[in-house]
Amino acid sequence: METVALSVLLLPFLSALVTLLFLRKQGNIASLLSVATAGGILALSLFLIFAGQGETFSWSVTWIQLAGWELEFGFLIDAPARLLLFVVSFVGFLIHIFSLGYMADDEAKARYFGGLSIFMFSMLGITLADNLIMIFVFWELVGFSSYLLIAHYFSTEEAAKASRKAFIVNRIGDFGFLIGIVLTYWIFGTVSLAELGAEVNFRPHLVTTFLCLALACGFIGKSAQFPLHVWLPDAMAGPTPVSALIHAATMVAAGIYLLLRIEFLFTPEALALLALLGAAMGLYAGFCALVQRDIKKILAYSTLSQLGYMAAAFGLGMPGIALFHLMTHAFFKALMFLGSGSVIHACHHEQDIFKYGGLRKRMPITAYTFLIGVLAISGVCFLSGYFSKDAILLGAYNLNLPVFIVLYAGAILTALYMFRLYFITFEGEPRSKYAKQAKENSPLMTGPLIVLAALSVIGGYHALFPVEIVGALIEDIRRVAQMDNHLWMIILGTLAWVGGALAAIKLYGTVEQDDPLASKAPAFFALCRSKLFFDEIYGLYVKRIQDPFARFLEVMELLFISGLMVRGSAGVAGLFALVAKAFYVGKIHAYALWFILGTLGFLAYAVGFIGG
Amino acid sequence: MRLALLEVDEVSTMTLDQILLLGAIVVPALVSIVLFSGLVQRDDLAKQLAFLGFGFPCIAGIVLFINFDANIALAEGGYCFELLYARMGLQDLGITFHLGLNGVSSPLFAMAGIVGLAAGLAAIGSGADRIKLYLALLCLMQSGLMGLFASVDLFFYYLFHEFALIPTFVMIGLWGGKDRRSVSLEITIYLTLGALISLGGLVALNLMVIEGNATKFDFPALSQALSELNMHESTQTTIFGLLLFGFGILVALFPFHSWAARGYEAAPTSVSMLHAGVLKKFGLYGLVQIAVPLLPEGALAWSPWLLWLALGNVLFVGMVTIAQTNLKSMVGYGSVMHMGYCFLGLAVVSSLGAGSAVMLMAAHGLSVSLMFLLSTYVYRRSGTFEMGEMGGLAGKTPVLACFFVAASLATIGLPGFGNFWGEFGIFLSLGEHEEHRFFLGLAALGIIISAIFGLRAVARIFFGGSTEQLSVHEKKHAISDLNLGEIIPAGLILAALLFIGLWPRGISDRIDVEIGQRYFHVDEMIDEIQYEKDFQSLPPCCQPNALNKELNGTDSLINSSGQNLNPPADH
Repeated sequence: METVALSVLLLPFLSALVTLLFLRKQGNIASLLSVATAGGILALSLFLIFAGQGETFSWSVTWIQLAGWELEFGFLIDAPARLLLFVVSFVGFLIHIFSLGYMADDEAKARYFGGLSIFMFSMLGITLADNLIMIFVFWELVGFSSYLLIAHYFSTEEAAKASRKAFIVNRIGDFGFLIGIVLTYWIFGTVSLAELGAEVNFRPHLVTTFLCLALACGFIGKSAQFPLHVWLPDAMAGPTPVSALIHAATMVAAGIYLLLRIEFLFTPEALALLALLGAAMGLYAGFCALVQRDIKKILAYSTLSQLGYMAAAFGLGMPGIALFHLMTHAFFKALMFLGSGSVIHACHHEQDIFKYGGLRKRMPITAYTFLIGVLAISGVCFLSGYFSKDAILLGAYNLNLPVFIVLYAGAILTALYMFRLYFITFEGEPRSKYAKQAKENSPLMTGPLIVLAALSVIGGYHALFPVEIVGALIEDIRRVAQMDNHLWMIILGTLAWVGGALAAIKLYGTVEQDDPLASKAPAFFALCRSKLFFDEIYGLYVKRIQDPFARFLEVMELLFISGLMVRGSAGVAGLFALVAKAFYVGKIHAYALWFILGTLGFLAYAVGFIGG
Repeated sequence: MRLALLEVDEVSTMTLDQILLLGAIVVPALVSIVLFSGLVQRDDLAKQLAFLGFGFPCIAGIVLFINFDANIALAEGGYCFELLYARMGLQDLGITFHLGLNGVSSPLFAMAGIVGLAAGLAAIGSGADRIKLYLALLCLMQSGLMGLFASVDLFFYYLFHEFALIPTFVMIGLWGGKDRRSVSLEITIYLTLGALISLGGLVALNLMVIEGNATKFDFPALSQALSELNMHESTQTTIFGLLLFGFGILVALFPFHSWAARGYEAAPTSVSMLHAGVLKKFGLYGLVQIAVPLLPEGALAWSPWLLWLALGNVLFVGMVTIAQTNLKSMVGYGSVMHMGYCFLGLAVVSSLGAGSAVMLMAAHGLSVSLMFLLSTYVYRRSGTFEMGEMGGLAGKTPVLACFFVAASLATIGLPGFGNFWGEFGIFLSLGEHEEHRFFLGLAALGIIISAIFGLRAVARIFFGGSTEQLSVHEKKHAISDLNLGEIIPAGLILAALLFIGLWPRGISDRIDVEIGQRYFHVDEMIDEIQYEKDFQSLPPCCQPNALNKELNGTDSLINSSGQNLNPPADH
């Protein structure tokens, strides 16, 4: 078993290494190697999932041992790990295949596929890790691979900036995470997930809100939650399949997975805060998504919003439901991102939805699969998104009414911006020459779309999946199933998406080059466009505070340390030398004079004229 | 090196490992002498000889690294491959020529060998004028560096340091860049002052145990004697202060750091690599091996000072690094910043802090020398060190970009590269006691600061479009990617960084054994102090004497408070 787990982890690492060392210039071989690796990962992962027969598997070796600190490199394959393992390897494999088509003409294919392999390595590491420090190691590594892949088109200023922003903002989150891990180690004496759980049971009074919030900083950075959400929309500068894999389906969801892993450390106050933050994010990102023109940006804000739903579910004390939404979201959001990739690929990398239009007739597979994604995320009855989102809403309704109201408003918005996206892109008439010429893509790209669309339909029926995969969900799903107000929620949920869809038809049924909302509600439109000025404030901080402060310190250093302290002391010594040098004038008369004066002085002292 | 004093049978019984250990010092020294003597006329022959002079220590370093067995070392008093020539004519003063490697010096010795070879290859390929003299000085430096970490005797430890230090000044003065004369002068005075103060500290240590004429320069004997002496706290504090500030100047402790960035900016690449990477570790090595374990109470007294100064390295110098626009001075400031972490590890006065500091020293030596090497590669292509005048190089030089990204990320502590483990261990050691946690919060800000300047540099040099200046330069000089001669030294260092990053036990196990033994009494001392503090912080009813009456023995209390620094409210 451990051999298989190790091979799952090391396979993509070796693939990336081989690509880096030998296949830099053989893009085609590199891409095939990477896809084969992804296939291998999927096969081995399925083996791992089913071989354990639902039992928790753990294994570890000592990774570092230093002065009493012992860290294990180990695997903990329990129910949540199996679910994420399935999602990562399965969605990952589909996206690898899609990339074959999407990146076919890219010059730096080898770098791209090498990066994907590094990502798979790091993401699988998070999934399988059995302790917090090991999670942190791979946590930083996914950040690195995300950086690498966002910077794929590095010659554009946009990608150069976005990649840096993503890494640094994530590091700010990791700062809190790191402190949380260190404190956890000293408070509980261990960072192993299994041992931590036992310790918390044994000494629950050691859990503090500060500690779990510090750890949650990791989640806030990685899952792009308030106030560190600014990196995700910019990260869309990377290739679209990367956005699908990393910035929608898996990596950003890793934050939720982390919360799940340390669920027992959370105090009620911290949970309540997370629920509120999540709900607020769900709504805020919805408003942002409503006014974007870039197809990928819309999907990115939608991802933020859905991550907010997951956080809210976790905060409401339903981690299983959060994981459930993570899974269904991975299916339908990967589907929509790949669909957008298909559209972008067909339209010569045009990303403005107002330059599309009428694509349903030209790209039917993409359009219909995309529509399934839209229906799923809007929560249309009996599609995958309905089950997970309805569970969250129902839970919120019964447990925390304010959170429910915010989330419900978010749900209406979701339907609105999603149908807006669909209508403007796929219906109506083409509004640019690229849209007119667009053709359906090859089966390499539509194949994954069809598979993901199928999963987006059935993904909510957890009973259809083997219990080895969805074991982690069952308990919470049962709990929610026993809650009251089911019928009420079906009606409310249906009203939400029908209302959103109708509003979208009315507003965006026929559009030209401009967003109709901009003329109908200019103030509201401008407010949403501003995204509440987060980017501007952070930009201002960097430009007006951080950088001037750095330059100020540089000047201080020059002035006081190199100048006053070092040069100053050198100056004192120099001055002394100068004075001393004045006596050495090189003329015999002067020396004779000094000699006589000295002798006289000595005599005067000797006979008692001076001194005494 | 008075080898003539060797007795024949001593030579014949030397093991291969001992020959390698001695050879790592002697071979570059001999090469240096041959090059100085002018016997070699042709440049290419001189380069081949120099290759031998750098290659041998590297091979020796790696072989001895592999052959080192921490358990054997432990059984034999801490050192492996020991080599002792007692009768050097100085034995009456207590000085012997004593070589050997322990768990702390073994990784550093290997690191010195690897960095040395990379720096040597860079020098051989640099095309500097008066190349023979340059290589001769560099070989001399390399000999000193290997000797420094291989010395068991403090006299030679110091002597080898000077052997390595003096060529630095000469080489900056002769082959340096902008302002080389004034920089060389400043560095010479500054570092000699530092060396002098630390020498004062070392001599003071020796004076403590003087017997007749003979003192004990041999390290195990000295520590034995000092531990029996039971020095008074104020004496310890004074001597530790001398060592701290002497070594501190040599390691660029804030605010004595201003020589470093200026010096590295002006120095030729190989010198920057060897100095920032290896020679600077002399001071830290002295603090880890000598000052803290021998003067624990002195270290404790200085600990609050050191914490603040080290924080100055991390935050102040870190912010200054952000402001740099010159690549080489950014690397220089960055290296000073990361030294702050090593000092923090020492300032907590614990085995974990010290062990992690050693981990970081080894990795930092590799990463910073790699950064200097790559900066020069960039310079060869762009004709400038000003980052504002580059841009978009990744498209033209993908291999260089790949190395540079890897090195930058290693420097900023990305897991998978060596630096992470040392930094993380130091953060961990800062979290151990309540009073250090404040510093943990501030020091950890460094991970953000270093990410900012590291990635900014990558973006400015390699991403985006090419700047006007670069395009003008490119018209005159075609820009090509790294050649094999450039890849090998960089690849060597990167491989070592990855080795430590992926399999930290490769070096941590031996550090653990040595530090565990050397810092045993240090940890004990801290535990005692902490234990007393915990009792004082309890309300009066729970003070030990009060409890003694009530509980009939304090065993249960000791257990719970030993593990729990914050006594729960219900006490």
